[in-house]
Amino acid sequence: MTRKSASREDIAVLARVAGLDFSPKHFDELVEAYRNIEPMLWRLRQGRSRADEPAHTYDPRKFMPKG
Amino acid sequence: MASVENKSASAVFDLSIMEMSALFAEKNLSPVEVANACLSRIGEINPKIHAFITVTADTAMAAAKASEARHLKGNALGPFDGIPFALKDNVETRGIRSTSHSKLLIDNVPAQDAHVAAKLSGAGGVLIGKTATFEFALGGPSWDLPFPPALNPWSLKHLPGGSSSGSGAAVAARLVPAAIGTDTGGSVRWPAAVCGIAGLKPTYGRISRRGVHPNTFSHDHCGPLTRTVADCAVMLGVSAGYDPFDPGSIDEPVPDYRAALTGSVAGLRIGLVTNWYRDDATTEVTAAVDAAIMVLKDLGARVEEIKLSPLSNYIDAKTTISLSELYAIHEKDLKERPEDFGYLLRTRVMAGGLIRAEDYVQAMRWRTELATEMMAEFRNFDVLATAGWLTPAEPADPDGVDFFKKRQVVTMPFSLAGIPALSVPCGFSPGGLPLAFQIASRPFDEATVLKAGDAYQRATDWHTRKPPIT
Repeated sequence: MTRKSASREDIAVLARVAGLDFSPKHFDELVEAYRNIEPMLWRLRQGRSRADEPAHTYDPRKFMPKG
Repeated sequence: MASVENKSASAVFDLSIMEMSALFAEKNLSPVEVANACLSRIGEINPKIHAFITVTADTAMAAAKASEARHLKGNALGPFDGIPFALKDNVETRGIRSTSHSKLLIDNVPAQDAHVAAKLSGAGGVLIGKTATFEFALGGPSWDLPFPPALNPWSLKHLPGGSSSGSGAAVAARLVPAAIGTDTGGSVRWPAAVCGIAGLKPTYGRISRRGVHPNTFSHDHCGPLTRTVADCAVMLGVSAGYDPFDPGSIDEPVPDYRAALTGSVAGLRIGLVTNWYRDDATTEVTAAVDAAIMVLKDLGARVEEIKLSPLSNYIDAKTTISLSELYAIHEKDLKERPEDFGYLLRTRVMAGGLIRAEDYVQAMRWRTELATEMMAEFRNFDVLATAGWLTPAEPADPDGVDFFKKRQVVTMPFSLAGIPALSVPCGFSPGGLPLAFQIASRPFDEATVLKAGDAYQRATDWHTRKPPIT
């Protein structure tokens, strides 16, 4: 499948949704940074079986009062 | 007590923790004189390598005097009593500035010690100072921070790796015999590898992270950096232990790691993960790692070559998790004071703001898959081995490599799996820079990696060589 990189306009929308209101200099940095992670995210978005568990565990005993 | 003058200064700096401890116990060496000697040496060498951000001379001398009094009364607290050590500056220390090498925390003076700092001081260790790091243990090497980056004692034109850059440089330069680093994707093992010292990332949950500035909650570890593997065993023994106030801490007994150092690897089953280095490492690294494995084989280990998932899989999963957690940690500062970040940390944090929640969960599912694949190998092997780092130390060039774009990081698989992994020196490049291999084992089986690394060091002398700066 051919993938299309996010445009500056796409990244501006993502930044707005994330509440990031950057100066032009910092927005340029964000565009460059996103160019580095975008291929990684494409590789990540592979099909998984429904029951594949994430590596989270939650042990409720950890949050009992101490002492 | 006898003084350093009875020994040549260089002989004191060459002592291992165990040798120093024995001399303290025999009253043939004074912790006060050793602390003084370390401080003097830091004054001489640190301006060249920038390993320390803060030197804690007054508190060091007070701790050394208290240790000396205990030794004189025969009440020493154990093998770490009187040993000078350093802490990476992302480890909080009561009353001592703890900056994470960042302008964001330039005035941060904590009210409490981190758990690991308290453990080491409680064992009688003498805190000498706080060491340089990549900003918040991630953004670096950087030249736009309040303090300069640390340099490699083997070559001042090269970096000491990171992010525990100052800890690696300080131990290699013999400013202190021991230091604590933190390791999220390799930040203890990388500096250990390129500085020619031992570095251990223990099991996730083995050493408390309470009071350590977070990088990635789900992957953060503390670990020792020392000149010998045997010293790593000592330092792990005094810093490990359950902490009910760290949700990631795991309540497992702390064994006597020194007792595991038998010198024997006869029958040890080693799975050599070849695809992590033979495709990507420099030729000198590949040759040194293969030669190190031959040494272990000659000592009686059984070696079989294996392949696991490509490094890029671990890196993609871990980086997605890290950037997401990093953003959650730094979002407020990024929005309110972005100029106070160094460029490298800022670009990593801002990238994390664009990662979707579902991508984070997918990365955590991938972590399960990759860790499960790796753990399955422990049905057949006692340890896994591979390169410690894929190159010698990188040049110290402000316009050089951005490690964000550097894709192959051979330390990351064991970070993602959360299992103990040890970096051991195994040679030098033709340019005189250290090379290393890694050994990893089952969760909470630090004893086996330490045993294997120690046996290797008993048969070789790479760890005894000194950088030219010494």
